[in-house]
Amino acid sequence: MESLIKCLIDCLIGEKLKVLRVNAGYHAKRRLANLGIIPGVQIIKKKAAPFRGPIEVIVKGTSLVIGRGLAARIVVLSDNSK
Amino acid sequence: MQIHKSKNKQDKKKKKVKEFINIGLAGNANVGKSVIFNQLTGLSQTIGNWPGKTVEKMEGHLNSLGYRFNIVDLPGIYSLSTYSLEEIISREYLVSEEVDVIINVIDATNLERNLFFTFQLLELKVPMILAINQMDILRKRNLKLNFERLEEIFKLPVIPVVAVHGTGVYQLLEKAIELVVYHQPTSHYIQDGKKIHEQLSNNDKKVNNDLSIKERFHFPDLSSILKYGKEVETRIYELIKNIDIHLEYFSTFNYPSRFLAIKILENDEEIEKIFKANQKTIYIINLAENYRNELEELHGEDISTIISSEIYTNIHKIIEKVVIVKARGEKKLVWAEKLDHLTTHSFWGYIILILILAGIYFFTFLIGGFFGGLIEDFFEVLSNIIYSIYGEDDLWVKIFWEGGLGGFFGGLSGVLVYVIPFFLIIEFLQDSGYLPRAAYLMDRFMHSLGVHGKTIIPMILGFGCNVPACTGCRIMETEREKKISIALTSLIPCSAVMAVVLGLVGRYVGITWVLILFAINFIVIIITGKILNKILPGQCTELIMEVHQYRIPNYSVILKQTWIRTKEFIFKALPIIIITGFLLEIFFIFRLLDPINFILSPITVYWLGLPAITGIFLIYGILRKELTLVLLALLANSMGTTLLGLLTPLQMIIFSLVSMLYIPCFATIVLIAKETNWKYALQIAGLEIGMALLIGGIINWVFFFI
Ligand SMILES: Nc1nc2c(ncn2[C@@H]2O[C@H](COP(=O)(O)OP(=O)(O)O)[C@@H](O)[C@H]2O)c(=O)[nH]1
Ligand SMILES: [Mg+2]
Repeated sequence: MESLIKCLIDCLIGEKLKVLRVNAGYHAKRRLANLGIIPGVQIIKKKAAPFRGPIEVIVKGTSLVIGRGLAARIVVLSDNSK
Repeated sequence: MQIHKSKNKQDKKKKKVKEFINIGLAGNANVGKSVIFNQLTGLSQTIGNWPGKTVEKMEGHLNSLGYRFNIVDLPGIYSLSTYSLEEIISREYLVSEEVDVIINVIDATNLERNLFFTFQLLELKVPMILAINQMDILRKRNLKLNFERLEEIFKLPVIPVVAVHGTGVYQLLEKAIELVVYHQPTSHYIQDGKKIHEQLSNNDKKVNNDLSIKERFHFPDLSSILKYGKEVETRIYELIKNIDIHLEYFSTFNYPSRFLAIKILENDEEIEKIFKANQKTIYIINLAENYRNELEELHGEDISTIISSEIYTNIHKIIEKVVIVKARGEKKLVWAEKLDHLTTHSFWGYIILILILAGIYFFTFLIGGFFGGLIEDFFEVLSNIIYSIYGEDDLWVKIFWEGGLGGFFGGLSGVLVYVIPFFLIIEFLQDSGYLPRAAYLMDRFMHSLGVHGKTIIPMILGFGCNVPACTGCRIMETEREKKISIALTSLIPCSAVMAVVLGLVGRYVGITWVLILFAINFIVIIITGKILNKILPGQCTELIMEVHQYRIPNYSVILKQTWIRTKEFIFKALPIIIITGFLLEIFFIFRLLDPINFILSPITVYWLGLPAITGIFLIYGILRKELTLVLLALLANSMGTTLLGLLTPLQMIIFSLVSMLYIPCFATIVLIAKETNWKYALQIAGLEIGMALLIGGIINWVFFFI
């Protein structure tokens, strides 16, 4: 039904997302790419730590914790149709 | 005579011949490298450092099948780039002469990410075996792998392993021998029902040393799986051509040309240094930059994304071919999920964190206190016997018995008995998978101190003992974060400090003041973090960390790791404690330290309001913090009174506070210096002394005026 482009921190818990862009610096970007956070990949936002803490996502079947500052730079497409 | 001669000759020849095989265990974190390492090497392990670097190097040996195997357990990494020191060290090590065969340990339940690292390793063209571990869990999930297909694809040995049961572990060694002897993977592994190592004569087994195993190895052509898309591949090809012109120069670095080409295209800083170091090859950097720009324009992505995507695409194709789904529906570990939810909960998560910290104290204390008491009793019985034989006033008896052996027993009863239960509980937390959850919960808070959440891991370790905890700061990715982490960790009240605070303030003043002291300590940690965050150049990096599912810890891993760490402590720290105990006893007997009390009295007596004798106790406390209390108690004893007769409650509070904060203990300072440098170690010590005196003095004067 509704598709939205958002940044990772603004998504709901449990939402299925597709990575669009990572607007981070060279090192962080390469690190994320190595771990599978690349455009087109499906991720699920698993949790967000309290007090505006980091975000946990499931990517390629494993959990990855990403600091909030970095998560804010990950642009995703949320697919609410399901 | 003749026989003798020829034998001699043979002996000489033997020395030239290499019969040992060096194996590097590489793989992601938490895949089972250490379990395999433990299975193979048992207790013959040592912890060292990589030359010039402060990343732990776990090395072990075993003799098996006629060979001596030298095995190194590498740090868990996800890529061979330059994200952390561990990655740089690992790749340099893997291509060096010190490794003959890589065993790439792969978590079968997480093939995609694990194979990403495998693909990077394959580019190194080092003889390699793929150990697909945790097959038991894969089976429980109703999945299967086609191993024949995997061997066809990788053209290298692929072995199913269940490390915790030891299944397949020795087969890895057999395959390693096969690679070394035949210089290529063979499919004729078993002939006439005999395994290869059984067919070999003693002469076959010898591997000539003049040519390294790597150079003679025919690495299979894996271009079909490793190749990138056409745009990338043509540019890599051009780069390789240019690199090969200067092959003589590049070959000294041991990296294959293609690896260099990919990395220079990826803008890898360390590899760039190699190109920069030679006038003739600098131009290739520019060439690579042009190609990189072209590609980034073409794809609209940055280079690391392009390359990673293509690798993941290739991996995907492989996974489709080899993973067989036996039945639909994965079984999930319900308890693990629930525990994860609870321990990262926005309320219960923090409660559990506090309970765990309290648990570390409690456990360490209870066990350590019990055994410490036993050893002390034993020492006292021995003392009485010695004194009854030689008399109490014999000078030499005093020096050797009280100083030397007293130091030894003191080391055992005061430190070792606490170190062992502490390591046990830490290894338990580590193996169960709890620690990253604490990092997740504390990330936000730690950012305000200039580091990300991972720092909480060494800090938790610090509650037991600062010394190994500061070593734990190696997990931080940048130098700046390591420095801040070390400073914060050194301020954590360790179990020895806890003994002083509880034994003095807790016992004679009350629990409220204990809590106030801890609150002050906590505030000091925050202030230190904020100061360092301001003055150290650079910025705080963001947390990127894999979190694994909870597991039931493996007791043999825990016990072995505990033993290795304890062994390291016995050989490295205990001798220092004994020697200093010895020296101090001499100083004490000859009253060499009395002037110190006098010199320190402006600080101790006037500023802090403490008795002059505490000056010397604080000096002793640098050695081991609980000594401040022990000596105080001894003094009270010899004066026929209790601590209450010696110090007022206010003095107790101030004395405890100063003991808590004034300096990291001697062993910690040495370690900080080793991990960073002496200047930084002394700066930290200075900062902590300053804060301890400032706060102690303020309390004293505030109460003075009230
Ligand atoms: N079920 C199962 N667990 C395993 C296996 N191999 C390792 N583990 C567990 O995986 C965890 C991580 O293992 P470890 O060797 O410390 O991983 P490392 O980080 O690669 O050194 C430990 O809790 C092990 O008990 C296996 O084959 N099967
Ligand atoms: Mg390990």
